Amino acid sequence: MLMLIFGIATVYSVAFNPEHPNIFDFEEKYGKQILWLCVSLFLGLLVFLIDSDIYRKFAFPIYLFVLSLLVLVLFMPPINGARAWIGVGSMGIQPAEFGKIAVSLLLAKYISELSVKQQTIGNVVGAAMILLVPMVLILLQPDAGSFVVFTSFLFVMYREGLTFDPIILAIINSFPGVKMKYTWVGSHFIPILFVAVFLSVITLLLSSVEIDFFFLPFKVSGAMGVIVTLILFAIVALLIIRQFGTKRDRSRGTLIIVLGLILGGGLSFGVGAGFNSLAPHQKVRIELFLGLKEDPNGEDYNRNRAMAAVGSGGLTGKGYNKASVSSVESNHVPESETDFIFCPFAEEWGFLGTIVLIFMYMFMLIRIIVIAERQRAAFNRIYAYCVAMILFYHFAINIGMNIGFAPVIGIPLPFFSYGGSSMMSFSMMMFILLKLDSQRKDVLR
Amino acid sequence: MNFDARKYVIMAFMLLVGGIYSIRLFYMQVVDDTWTLRAQEIAEKRKEITPPRGVIFDRNGKKIVSNRTYYNLMMVEADIKNLDTVAFAKLIGWTREEVRNRFYEIRKGEGTYKNPHTGKTTSNYQKIRKYPFIKELTLEEISRIAPHLENFPGFYEEVTSMRNYPFSNGANILGYLSEVTREEIEQDRFYKPGNNIGRSGIERYYEKELRGVKGIKYVVTSALNNAIESYADGKYDTTARQADPLRLGMDMLIQAYGERLMQNKKGCIVAIEPATGEILAMVSAPSFDPNLLVGKRNISLNYPKLATDKNMPLFPRPLQAEYPPGSIFKLVQSLIGMQEGVIDENSGFPCDKSVVGCHNHPMASNIQAAVQYSCNPYYYAVMRRIIQQNVKKNMFADAEFGLNKWYDYMLSFGLGKSLEADVSGQRPGVIPNSAYYDKWYGHHRWAFSTIRSISIGQGEVKLTPLQMANIAAIIANKGWFYTPHFVKSIGRNGPHPQYKVKHYTKVESKYFPPVIEGMRRVVNEAGGTARMARIDSMIVCGKTGTVQNPHGKDHSVFIAFAPIHKPKIAIAVFVENSGFGGTWAAPIASLMIEKYLRRKIKDKEKEKRILEAKLSNIESSDDEENQNQAD
Repeated sequence: MLMLIFGIATVYSVAFNPEHPNIFDFEEKYGKQILWLCVSLFLGLLVFLIDSDIYRKFAFPIYLFVLSLLVLVLFMPPINGARAWIGVGSMGIQPAEFGKIAVSLLLAKYISELSVKQQTIGNVVGAAMILLVPMVLILLQPDAGSFVVFTSFLFVMYREGLTFDPIILAIINSFPGVKMKYTWVGSHFIPILFVAVFLSVITLLLSSVEIDFFFLPFKVSGAMGVIVTLILFAIVALLIIRQFGTKRDRSRGTLIIVLGLILGGGLSFGVGAGFNSLAPHQKVRIELFLGLKEDPNGEDYNRNRAMAAVGSGGLTGKGYNKASVSSVESNHVPESETDFIFCPFAEEWGFLGTIVLIFMYMFMLIRIIVIAERQRAAFNRIYAYCVAMILFYHFAINIGMNIGFAPVIGIPLPFFSYGGSSMMSFSMMMFILLKLDSQRKDVLR
Repeated sequence: MNFDARKYVIMAFMLLVGGIYSIRLFYMQVVDDTWTLRAQEIAEKRKEITPPRGVIFDRNGKKIVSNRTYYNLMMVEADIKNLDTVAFAKLIGWTREEVRNRFYEIRKGEGTYKNPHTGKTTSNYQKIRKYPFIKELTLEEISRIAPHLENFPGFYEEVTSMRNYPFSNGANILGYLSEVTREEIEQDRFYKPGNNIGRSGIERYYEKELRGVKGIKYVVTSALNNAIESYADGKYDTTARQADPLRLGMDMLIQAYGERLMQNKKGCIVAIEPATGEILAMVSAPSFDPNLLVGKRNISLNYPKLATDKNMPLFPRPLQAEYPPGSIFKLVQSLIGMQEGVIDENSGFPCDKSVVGCHNHPMASNIQAAVQYSCNPYYYAVMRRIIQQNVKKNMFADAEFGLNKWYDYMLSFGLGKSLEADVSGQRPGVIPNSAYYDKWYGHHRWAFSTIRSISIGQGEVKLTPLQMANIAAIIANKGWFYTPHFVKSIGRNGPHPQYKVKHYTKVESKYFPPVIEGMRRVVNEAGGTARMARIDSMIVCGKTGTVQNPHGKDHSVFIAFAPIHKPKIAIAVFVENSGFGGTWAAPIASLMIEKYLRRKIKDKEKEKRILEAKLSNIESSDDEENQNQAD
């Protein structure tokens, strides 16, 4: 298991390096990246030498340390309009990247030490505060990308039962005569919310796009495209349930799928229709936020070029180091070695490359969840979920913005993008997880 | 409460996203090719290399149209830093406003790109791309500017090729180039904005032959539009190929000489080699230096001046001016009359001045004398016989029949229709037929007496000087002609096939000798009207014309060929508002003939008289001119 995760991490790192296939020149970015990889591995080794219990015990001091860094960074000179870096010599680190680890640790500690009766307003607020303080600090930088990533911890809370259900219940029960023990919507509030946001964003992004489904004789646009896709998924899911599910699962699953389809479709349709009925200036504001509209930063330009690069990859790609749109020298796609790293990869390796990449990420994420579920200690499990959700967020948003499914917010692709801080923080995150996993039998909690 | 089942929700969510992304990627990368096209649009630039235009030689191998290097001042806005507008404007000799307006013009001129996916429109102008700031600078200008360009980052020089005319002759025949219009780009994918196209004359007619083959180099470009590398190692690249040179039948020596002779006069000279139909010279006076219309800058500077000049130097008179031919038309009338059998070589008609005015001369008792004396009443009589052949009982129907018969003869002489020489912009002239007069007078409302002025080349009849010269060539050939044309050969190939087809007139060659004898007498015998066209020890055959002009002095016209046996040159000279044909047009024609056949002029007095003559006040306006154009 250890080797597996390690191997995946390495493969990603190696897959990165070919984008800049020259010698090990530390003046160049690929050279630096290898250097960062070495530093990360060294840190990983360090992490491995430290007893896993330390992380739990020192979660709060680490959290405070990172918080202080996040405060400190606000007094640093801005780079690219954001005060996100603390300079160390010629290199800089981003405290926000390490903030993810710190929050993961503290959240795991906080939730794991809660009493059995978890669903109280106080507990939820307590957990939420752990997130909110660094989130506010990050928002001050401002760094929208990292801010969004921090919302991934809500999924962890959801998994651990710390949902906003108590709050919703309190609101509902405050009406006279209503007395409910729990609400389905409240307890599943977070995934429902996120699915809704996801579908809405996609619907909006595709609202002015004509999609040509090869099996349909006509082109559909925006909301209809999403609905058609949802129906496809529903059919596939129903088939799977019919084949593998028990009878009880089947009826319940079918209900959920049909309900989800109706709700999702309705939402998508509603958002599409709602958007079209908005006043022009409101539309523009939303389009600006999503990067749909040409704005001074030229986000549409970036997206357009990134998508052109990805789309031109074809089935098998243009071949290694043959990227013409997204190569660093051509500079058509800005940030092609960091935020838009997916572009050159997709252009060079084509659909076969990207599908393998997605499969590998999926495999890694599921693998982490499997690891999480086999932990005896709640702390370990919660931490593992934090890691899984953070990686998932990065994966989803980064690739999403390369294929026009997510607004352009600058967050790196884990183990892929150039950048010391993200490399180190993701590595440390993984190594801590591996360390915890390797010691899982020692812990009896 | 057990929340373990929620792991499935999370996993399902992850798989859902992964699945959607996979489908999206499949769609984007494999199914939908618009992104591939967009990527090509962005990164793979077809760099077109426009070759220098084909050069043009004259019949003796002199280069008369070649190419010359010019310089463009390019700019890349993104590289411009702290532009000192005042200093920059001073360097290029503009005002600050002009510099500012030019920036605005460039930005606006690039048009917009419409994204087919989002339907959004963005400007094509990009700060990181290069655009020509000033085009077509000369070496002198660029060498004044270039040393200081290092003070103005974002500006640099680039080389281009443009037309150059070593001789300043033949401007309105050779034509000029100008930038392609949007419509032309849409019609022919060969052209890209900024390319030049032949706008008039030979340049226009032979556009496809002269433009050559563009070289295409596929390069992968960066966002700065710099080529990074050649695409697929240059596998699809083609090299630019300059077009084969055109060789004209034109003799630059007599072309230039003709323009000299015609200085300070209005009119034209057309000389044709009868045996081949090659045009030896085509002079349109007044003319201009073709170098005045080279390049956008020169055109915008000089074209308005030339176009508004009252003497219309841009007007290619030999091709587009339609003049009544006057007495030279009598040659054709004689031929038709004999072919129709209404007269023969020995027919004589009295010089009855009560019908039409004539000058004093002995009575013309045969064709030769009629031509020699250019007797007007004689040709009234001939034309009456041609028109009114008494085939039909009704006089009007008879005239209609006769006129149409006559009209067919005219067509066979290349009159009344465009000759279709290889130059753009030719007028057909006017030869009236029955439909023409029916429109004017009504059906069967006219007969010979109505239309008789056409007998002597006045009235409705109009010819272009090219057609007049062709008549001389036909007579020199005794009844046939090749369509007059400029281009003798294109590279290793001959002229276009249509110029190798002999056109026979409807008059048999046996009827030509009496007319030729008459023409000989015109020049060489006492009593001829063109004694001034005589050349020592060479027999020139010619015919004068004096075209009555209601707006001013008569036009002087003369057509001729020489020598009488195996003619080498057929010529038409038309001098506006100068008087008798024998006084001006005839000596000019003889000088041209002598220059062409002997390369030098013996009779310096004759030459001097012509060169010094200032016949029309070419400064003042001229109604006749305007009327010709209106026709």
